[in-house]
Amino acid sequence: MSWRILWLLACWLPLAAHAASIDPGKDPVPSVMWAFYHKQMLGDAPFVFDDRVKLLAPPFAEDARQVPLEIDARAFKGEVVKILAWAELNPLPKIVDFQPLDRVLPWLSIRIRIEQATPLRAAVLTRDGLWHVGSTLIDAAGGGCTAPSVVRTQPGWEDHIGEVLGARYPRNDFSRLRVQVAHPMDNGMVSGVPEFFINHAELRSADDQLLARLELFPAVSENPNLAFDIEGAGQTRLIIRDNSGNEFDASIP
Amino acid sequence: MRWILLMVLSVSLPAMADLEYSLKPRQIAEDTWLLEGSTDNFAKANGGNIVNTAFIVTEGGVVVIDTGPSKRYGEAMRKAIAAITDKPVVQVFLTHHHPDHVLGNQAFADVPIGALAGTTELLHQQGDALAENMYRMVGDWMRGTEVVLPNQVVTPGVRSFGNHDIRLLGLGGHTGADLAILDQRTGVLFAGDLVFYQRALTTPNSPGLAVWLADIATLQGLPWTLIVPGHGPVSGDPQPFEQMRDYLTWLDQLLQAGAANGTDMAEMIRSPIPERFAGITLSRYELIRSVSHLYPRYERGQMTRVDCAAAK
Repeated sequence: MSWRILWLLACWLPLAAHAASIDPGKDPVPSVMWAFYHKQMLGDAPFVFDDRVKLLAPPFAEDARQVPLEIDARAFKGEVVKILAWAELNPLPKIVDFQPLDRVLPWLSIRIRIEQATPLRAAVLTRDGLWHVGSTLIDAAGGGCTAPSVVRTQPGWEDHIGEVLGARYPRNDFSRLRVQVAHPMDNGMVSGVPEFFINHAELRSADDQLLARLELFPAVSENPNLAFDIEGAGQTRLIIRDNSGNEFDASIP
Repeated sequence: MRWILLMVLSVSLPAMADLEYSLKPRQIAEDTWLLEGSTDNFAKANGGNIVNTAFIVTEGGVVVIDTGPSKRYGEAMRKAIAAITDKPVVQVFLTHHHPDHVLGNQAFADVPIGALAGTTELLHQQGDALAENMYRMVGDWMRGTEVVLPNQVVTPGVRSFGNHDIRLLGLGGHTGADLAILDQRTGVLFAGDLVFYQRALTTPNSPGLAVWLADIATLQGLPWTLIVPGHGPVSGDPQPFEQMRDYLTWLDQLLQAGAANGTDMAEMIRSPIPERFAGITLSRYELIRSVSHLYPRYERGQMTRVDCAAAK
């Protein structure tokens, strides 16, 4: 056995042992698709169902096109590599891949579309290589993903693409940053309207340090609403790109 | 085979026979009858009978106020009216376009169905989706129910039916087009869903809580003797108005303060509900809905343009 294989083994053994010894616990929501998503989203990596990852949504979707979702992984502050969220029974399940890097707390608020009643998941990868999965259920009359756009009914909507409304709200030891970006977030499921959505966003500090990175998917509602909790003072820049290559830049004082 | 058929029948027949609204009109004033619904949510157990409908037996015929949540309800209402009077139904007024108030229209197809122009427009736009949602929530009770649009435009003013002068008011706090009806002979005020009493108010089409508060003041200033809310018990004292004012003001301030504080929508729906509203049914459920309907407007009011294009 070459030293290289030995070295590889040595690297993998702790994780493998980890995986074997971890009991994921009982799935808190009735799901027919967990095994599929475990493979699809988490690559069959070790995980636990963990109620310290709080995934908060209303019990039912009053407006299936704008469902508020709050992902709270502050219990793992300083340990979080990334947060993945998805809606299991959506035709386009993926919501967001959020990487809070520096000064940004592992907390995110976002609004999404859902097509029918579904389990929702937020999986938090911590530095030890383990996924912590928070879950909730939402009821819905449905149709949020296939409903025609509201934005597109407003005359002159094209002129407003990329406009950002925002504000900072001070808290005790951090500040809340909220933004709303004018964008139709077309998911390609409405007849004759191709995919056109914001797929990337970054938060940067005044001195251009990367604070957080987000990949967004078309399950995110039109005119996306996002909120972050950030420690420390100073202006924050938000850089957004859509899949047509448009780039938008905003500065929240 | 026959045996199986019998089994199936014996199971399904009683289930069908159960879908009976058994509406019992209650006289609340001279010539005036109320069909009071529960203050629950739409459910398969109640067939959507969560609404107050009414009729006035005038010398010139019967005036009906709202037709209920389904064809079956409309038909049951028609029967209930016939059990009280031989007089023909001469007029239907719809207070607004929400499904629990208008989906009984099919049973009144032979009568002028009057509504504000805005109500007809809203029912035209939203009626099918509203009816579809009712099928989802109420199930078999809805069978055969279809949207029937009003065929008469009502304008504010006084209309006479026999010995009753009926004052019609065009307001809008609940849906943008809300008809309130004051019977000037009896002083009974049919407030429609501008007034909910002991049942949390609903906001899916409200143009804003300030508009609604102004409507409450208008209604309270009328020479009424008895208030018939759209949902909840009738009242001879102004308590329903006071509860509405209290609740609307609380909701407005809650949303205002939340937006000013940058509170997220998912956090807003978990806001504590004051103890004094404990007697109001469905307040948590309706808070969740109202945050979805109204909060985005409050939020935008507290944010400014921050994109670089705006700065140029």
